[in-house]
Amino acid sequence: MTATTLPPQSSATDARVRVRTRRLVLYTVLVSVTGLFLGPFGWLVLSALKTQGELAASPVHWLPEAFQWHNFADAFTQIDFLGYARNSLIIALLYATLVTVSSAWVGFGFARLDAPGKKVLFGILLGSMMLPQMVTLLPTYLIFAKVGMVDTYWPWVLWGLSAAPYLVFLFRQFFAGMPRELEEAAIVDGCGYPSIFWRIFLPQSWPVLSASFIIAFTWTWGDYIAPQLLLSTDRTTLAVAVMTTYVNEGGTPVPELQAAASVMYVVPILLIFLVAQRGFVAGMSTSGLK
Amino acid sequence: MTVDQISSAADRSSAATDTGRAPATAGPRISMTARRHRAFYLFTSPWIIGFLLLTVTPMGYALWLSFTTFDGISPNWKYVGLDNYRELLNDPVTWGALGRAGLFAVTSVPLSIIAGLALAVLVNRPLKARGLFRTLLYLPAVVPPVGAGLAFKLLFDPNSGATNGVVTFFGFEAIGWLADPYARYVLLMTVLWAAGNVMIISLAGLQDVPRELHEAACIDGASAWRTFRSITVPLLSPVLLFQTVTGMIASVQTIMPLLLAPLGDTSGITTVPQSNYLYMMHVFAQYFALGRYGYASALLWVLFVLILIATGLIFRFTSGAVFYNVDPEAKK
Repeated sequence: MTATTLPPQSSATDARVRVRTRRLVLYTVLVSVTGLFLGPFGWLVLSALKTQGELAASPVHWLPEAFQWHNFADAFTQIDFLGYARNSLIIALLYATLVTVSSAWVGFGFARLDAPGKKVLFGILLGSMMLPQMVTLLPTYLIFAKVGMVDTYWPWVLWGLSAAPYLVFLFRQFFAGMPRELEEAAIVDGCGYPSIFWRIFLPQSWPVLSASFIIAFTWTWGDYIAPQLLLSTDRTTLAVAVMTTYVNEGGTPVPELQAAASVMYVVPILLIFLVAQRGFVAGMSTSGLK
Repeated sequence: MTVDQISSAADRSSAATDTGRAPATAGPRISMTARRHRAFYLFTSPWIIGFLLLTVTPMGYALWLSFTTFDGISPNWKYVGLDNYRELLNDPVTWGALGRAGLFAVTSVPLSIIAGLALAVLVNRPLKARGLFRTLLYLPAVVPPVGAGLAFKLLFDPNSGATNGVVTFFGFEAIGWLADPYARYVLLMTVLWAAGNVMIISLAGLQDVPRELHEAACIDGASAWRTFRSITVPLLSPVLLFQTVTGMIASVQTIMPLLLAPLGDTSGITTVPQSNYLYMMHVFAQYFALGRYGYASALLWVLFVLILIATGLIFRFTSGAVFYNVDPEAKK
């Protein structure tokens, strides 16, 4: 309003001030939103360092009087933490490895080959991404119980071998963008499609392979319902153990140990994410339908 | 059907590898096409077989069970036709749970899309430490549900939680966050907390928006909000549609109410407060607590059909508003 009446010099400083205040507002918003987003996790870490009394106290004890670092050691020893972590690791590695390879294999088929019925099949593949897994999981459990696969890791092997639509789509997008000459030369040399896939396409797809592996690993590490349904208390994963096993003799949960255990349970995933952030984000974002 | 599929897939695989090693003696053109066809089925068969065995079969099995009184233990279960579906229609608890699940979906999905989109626009600006902000805002989306559930349970604890600490600091009464009726807001907040998912996917979409379009709008004197509404949102519409559909499906599958519930029994179902007793909790209760596999299967099938209808409606009503293939490079 005043800018038109003022001499040009001060209008320039006026604009600069406006840009600066705008930037200040922007950063304030960003920092406070980020603070809100980190809050719950920060509170979890603080809770893991308190005594049981402090966790039950009312009004709230903002900070622990003394950091109870031993909670982490206690959470580690009260249950077979390492054993559960190993179970989680086994099924996560098993599933992530198998599903990455099988999804790349299927994705190659959808990207580079064709046959009658391809369109329909691809439609079903995309449609099945929208199928709620929870709906199939309960009957799947009954079927697995019938064939004796409950309390084994076979379900994760089968799920892994049969590819995941989401990851198939990821690989399809990637393989579809590779130049045609790659396979043509190989075909002239009498090379079959499987060897084209293994020797030419797969070695060039490290970014997608790692993104897929990390995504699948995180899914399995974070899954709660499938291991709860399919595995016994000894063979179950850390996700289930953290939720259900930290109780005292009276059967009441011990919150500070639960908090410490879930920090130890969550941190590996956060570390994997931070290390592989670039590929992970790229992998997630290419899925945004293009 | 499935056995045929497996054996024919096996035939194909051996055939494909045979021709792969020794070039076919028949006319090269025909064998090339045939080879590609065979190879296509060889490559897609793991998914086709898996889909038939691990998705179609369980769904079919659940459909069959939904016509029975099967409880998993008693051998005296019997075929009862549509009885389960009739009961379902007349059960006020089912309707209540369905209504709450619907309400949860129609509030949490749009809110998290708006929040995610706002965050994406925010961190798409030229800022210092932009990468750091993106990472930190995305971080909650990778926290496994069990960790998130416990974090929120501690944060909203009526006595020692930080939120009530703030509430009482300002002189208000402490709130029973994890019980009725506030539990639903805590549930909603757990979803909004993971809005980084929408942010990341929208961010990729934002970066695909051609710069010239924004510059043109700027020259025409369009305001930032107008540019956002008339250029950015339409160009992002496929991404937003994708987010709406997957968000809706994820919201009916959420197990967060179980993880937020006070630990009573190992399954936690019986202690979920009324306002978080969503449809899936009802299914779990029928399934685990009551062992009514037949009735639970009917509930699952109804949910499946409702999701199909909802997805169809979303696609139908957005078909005029979603723009594909707007990439100018693609047309050249």
